[in-house]
Amino acid sequence: MNTLFFRYVPGNSIVHRLDPRVKIAGMLIASISIFISSSLREMAVVALVFFLLALISSISVRVILSAVRPMLMFLGIIFILQLFLTEGNPLFSLVGLDATYEGLALGVLMSMRFLFLLMFASLLTATTAPSLMTTGIEKMLRPLPLKRLGISSFDLATMMFLSLHFVPLLYGSFSHLRDAQVSRGLDMARNPFKAVYSLSVPMVRTAFISAEEVAVAMESRCYQGVNRSSLNEPVMQKNDLAALLVFGIVMFLLV
Amino acid sequence: MSIDVRNLTFRYDRGTSLEKTSLEDVSLSIDKGEFVLIGGEIGSGKSTLVRHFNGLLKPFSGQVTVDGMAAHEKKVKARVGVLFQFPQQQLFGRTVFEDVAFGPRNFGYRGNELDLQVHSALELLGLGKEIYSVSPFRLSGGQMRLVAIAGVLASRLDYIVLDEPFSGLDAENKKILLSALRHLNSRGTSVIVVSHRMSDLLSVADRVFLLDQGNLVFGGTPAEYVKHAPSHLPEITCLMKELRRKGFDVRGDIFNIDDAFSEISRVLNTKEAVRR
Repeated sequence: MNTLFFRYVPGNSIVHRLDPRVKIAGMLIASISIFISSSLREMAVVALVFFLLALISSISVRVILSAVRPMLMFLGIIFILQLFLTEGNPLFSLVGLDATYEGLALGVLMSMRFLFLLMFASLLTATTAPSLMTTGIEKMLRPLPLKRLGISSFDLATMMFLSLHFVPLLYGSFSHLRDAQVSRGLDMARNPFKAVYSLSVPMVRTAFISAEEVAVAMESRCYQGVNRSSLNEPVMQKNDLAALLVFGIVMFLLV
Repeated sequence: MSIDVRNLTFRYDRGTSLEKTSLEDVSLSIDKGEFVLIGGEIGSGKSTLVRHFNGLLKPFSGQVTVDGMAAHEKKVKARVGVLFQFPQQQLFGRTVFEDVAFGPRNFGYRGNELDLQVHSALELLGLGKEIYSVSPFRLSGGQMRLVAIAGVLASRLDYIVLDEPFSGLDAENKKILLSALRHLNSRGTSVIVVSHRMSDLLSVADRVFLLDQGNLVFGGTPAEYVKHAPSHLPEITCLMKELRRKGFDVRGDIFNIDDAFSEISRVLNTKEAVRR
């Protein structure tokens, strides 16, 4: 059972103790850098920064791997599409399709982009407690004129928190269902269509049922969505700001 | 022919700060044709243990073998069926029949044989023909559970493991399920029931295992269990022990209602006879 999928793993490293706003902003900077980096050399820099951060936060490799593993097929498809559908110098030919050198480079770059996006995201969720994440998002959104659109930053933050909260929950019910269907003789590798059908129908049902349950539970405790305070208010400190500044400068200079 | 667990240790989330030991050096063996009860508190490792029986989890250390094969081999899935908690979640078929047929189809049954197995499993659980072509999602909660249970029984495997099958069933459906399990057991199927409420099943089980915080703390017959078990005694046994303590000459090792009834009547009758 993959229980570590995008889950908070308590710890006491510098990264764990940073203000959640710094980490969220850092995540944004990282994603921008990832998407503007257009060569493998720049990708290597992103990778280096990531591994340094992962090392500092002393997050186990398993946690990162658990976020990446389920997406490997998706990454593979991106790679193959790029490999065959990019025009350029032919590399080899397969059933009438030409793989190109340019395609190879682009394929590696594109799949690396998604890979590191996933890995940075899992680093964020692994080192930030969900409640702090909500508070962080809410505080970052507060200056925006969201009221005019009819939503409050509290609503938005709660929605994001709930989606984050549902990821491991849904993953849990997915592995529960997979165990159940595999025990009934489902062979996922040999029968992918059957697997998708027998897992997706109950998954969607469970997701709706549990979403409704959460909504009812929140309403019955008088959730109103406005002016919620939190138990642990994060306070931005000098070293938080410094960390953000350093991280931003490093990313932009290098990439 | 048996499920053998030797020195099984298992930990969740190995190598992170969330790591916890779930099973510690557990050894037990379940023979073909036995009716076995595995008890313990919630979180004692019962569900983790049974996930090793058909190879869904691989031991951290130790071994699990089924009829001599390593439990994670593919062939084992065609011998050991597992029904998990909240089985109603696993329903997906368009009709009840289709859903129950999913398992047997995967194990290679077709045509008449398939029909026969699906029908007999549904019948065994008291589900009538009128629901065969209904969508399982239109049934009541209790019926959905029974359909899901039928989906596991229909494959006619040698070992059937059921994790908390009685929770969420009313008294009537409990009785139906229990007699279905006894029927299968009488035809040679091993039935392994996991439950945190042991008293309901002590009178039908051949053997009982008790887990506590990942350790196996008891293994033996129900009679030995009520004599020696450290905890989790059925209410009826507690009553008999209390009566004994109050000076009635009843046996203290009784664990089913019928025996208790005849024992108490016997004692009351002798008292009356003495008085006359």
